[in-house]
Amino acid sequence: MQFLRRQTLARLILLIGLLAGFATALADSSDPSVWLDRMGDAVKKTSYEGTVIRIRDGEAEALKVVHTFADGVIREKVIAQEGNGLEIIRNGNEVHCILPDRKSVLVEEWDDQSTLFSTLPSRDFRFGSEYDVSIVREDRVAGRQANLLAVRPHDGYRYGYRIWLDTETSFPLQTQLIGTDGAAIEQIKFAEISLNQEIHASALAPSYSTENYRWFNQSNLHVTRSVETGWVSSNLPQGFRVISTHEERMTDGDQFVTHILYSDGLANVSVFVAQLEEGDSQGESNVGGSNAYSAIVGDHHVTAVGKVPAITVEQIATTMRAP
Amino acid sequence: MQISAFVDGELPDNEADLLLRRMGQDAELRHRVAEYLAIGRALRGEISVPGVDRIHERVSAEIDDKPLEDLIATAGSPPTSAIRPLAGAAVAATVALLAIFGLQQTTSVDESDAKTLAGSVAATDAGYTVPQPLDEQLRQYYMSHGATATEFGANGINSRFVSLRMSEETLQDPADDEETAPAEDTEEQPTQP
Repeated sequence: MQFLRRQTLARLILLIGLLAGFATALADSSDPSVWLDRMGDAVKKTSYEGTVIRIRDGEAEALKVVHTFADGVIREKVIAQEGNGLEIIRNGNEVHCILPDRKSVLVEEWDDQSTLFSTLPSRDFRFGSEYDVSIVREDRVAGRQANLLAVRPHDGYRYGYRIWLDTETSFPLQTQLIGTDGAAIEQIKFAEISLNQEIHASALAPSYSTENYRWFNQSNLHVTRSVETGWVSSNLPQGFRVISTHEERMTDGDQFVTHILYSDGLANVSVFVAQLEEGDSQGESNVGGSNAYSAIVGDHHVTAVGKVPAITVEQIATTMRAP
Repeated sequence: MQISAFVDGELPDNEADLLLRRMGQDAELRHRVAEYLAIGRALRGEISVPGVDRIHERVSAEIDDKPLEDLIATAGSPPTSAIRPLAGAAVAATVALLAIFGLQQTTSVDESDAKTLAGSVAATDAGYTVPQPLDEQLRQYYMSHGATATEFGANGINSRFVSLRMSEETLQDPADDEETAPAEDTEEQPTQP
C-alpha cells in the first residue's frame, strides 16, 4: 500500500515537472521579447550562407552572403550579383569593400555590435513604450518555418518593422521596414539559406585579385570630439532623447559641425548644426527610407537626418533652438 | 503560387483577369505582386519579365490614351463603381512602374525660401519631387548619421549599402585618373595590407 502511494506521488511530481517545463516553454515561445533577444544572438553567432534579395524603392538587388562566427571573430562576405559586382569582405572589425569596376578597395572599420542583419538595436538600447511588439503568425520563408513578429509604433513619428524569425534558430529570414501607410519601404529577405552548416574558408576569400587595385582608408573620414551643447528641440517627438553630442569636422572644410544624436531606442535621428553659409537651403530630401530636412535657424544651418518619416526630421529640424 | 505564375506569364487569361481585378482592391496583393516582379528581376538579371509585359499589354489594351499619371492617381483611390473597370489596369501600371523604374533618392527644396541650393532644381509643386544628386554636405550628413547610428547596433545591410554607395561616389574613376591620385576626402594606402 505504502509502495503504491510512493509511486503515485512520484508520478504526480513528474507530471507537475513536465507541466511546469511545458508552461515555461510556452511562455518563452509566446513572448516576443524572448524571440528578439534570441535574434540578437542569432545574427551574430549563427553561421549561414545564402542568397538575399534586398528591395528598396521598387528596386531589387540579389546578394550572395556568407557569415561565420568562430573564436569570437565575425567573418562575412557579400557579393552583389549585378551592377558593378561590389564585394564586401569582413574579417573581425576590418572591412574591405572591393569595387572591381574602379579597381579600388575601400578599407573601413565596423564595430563589434554591427552585423549584416543587425536591424534592431541591442538589448541595452531596446525600445520602450513607443512601440508594441507582438507575434503575428507562423509563416514560411526560404523554405523554412518562421514566426512573424510585428513592431508597431504608436504614432506617425517612426517606422515599424515586420520580422520573420526562423523558428529553429531565431535568425531573421526576412525583415521589412514599414512606413506610416503600412507599406514596406525596405525589405531584406532570403531566397535560400543554409544555417549552421560547415563553411569552408575559401567561401570567405575575395573573388577578385586586388594586386593592382588602389586602396583607400575610410577610417579617418571624420574627425570628431565630444562636446556639450545648448542646442535643444522645443518640440521633440515623444520618446526621443539625446544619446550623444559631439563636434565633427566634415571632409570638405575646416568647419566643425555640432552633431546631436536622438533616439527613441529604435529610431535614430541625427541633427547637424553648422554656421550658415552662402547657398545653404531649406527643404527635404530622402534616400530610401531615410529622410532629411534642412532649416535655417538664425545664423545656423540645421539638418535632421534619420530612418524615420519625413514629418519627424522636419519637426525636429525646425524646432531646434540655440542656447 | 498564383502570383508567381502570373509574373512568369503562365497564368491562364481568365485567372489573370481575376487577379488583376483583385489587385485593384487589395493593397497587400499589389505589394506582393510588386515584390515578386522585383525579385524576379533581381534573380534573373532581366530588364523585363513576362508579368510586366503582360501588364503593359493590359494597360495599352484597356486604356488607350489615358495619361499614366491619371492611372497612378486612380490606383491610390478606393474603387468606386465608376472607376472599377479601370482599377485593375491602373494598379497594374503602378506595379509595372515600380518594377521597371524604382525611385532614386529625391530632393525637394522649399521655394518660399530665398536662399536656395546653388545649382539645384527646385520642386515644381508640393506633391512632386525632382530626382537629383545629393548635395555634398548632405551626403556627408547621411554617411555620418549611418556611422553613428551603427554604434548603437540599430543598423543593417541596407544602411551599409547606402553608405558604401555614397563612399563610391567619392572615388575617382581610374580611367579619369591614371596617376592614381587619391580622392580628396580619402586617404590612399601606398601598399596592400
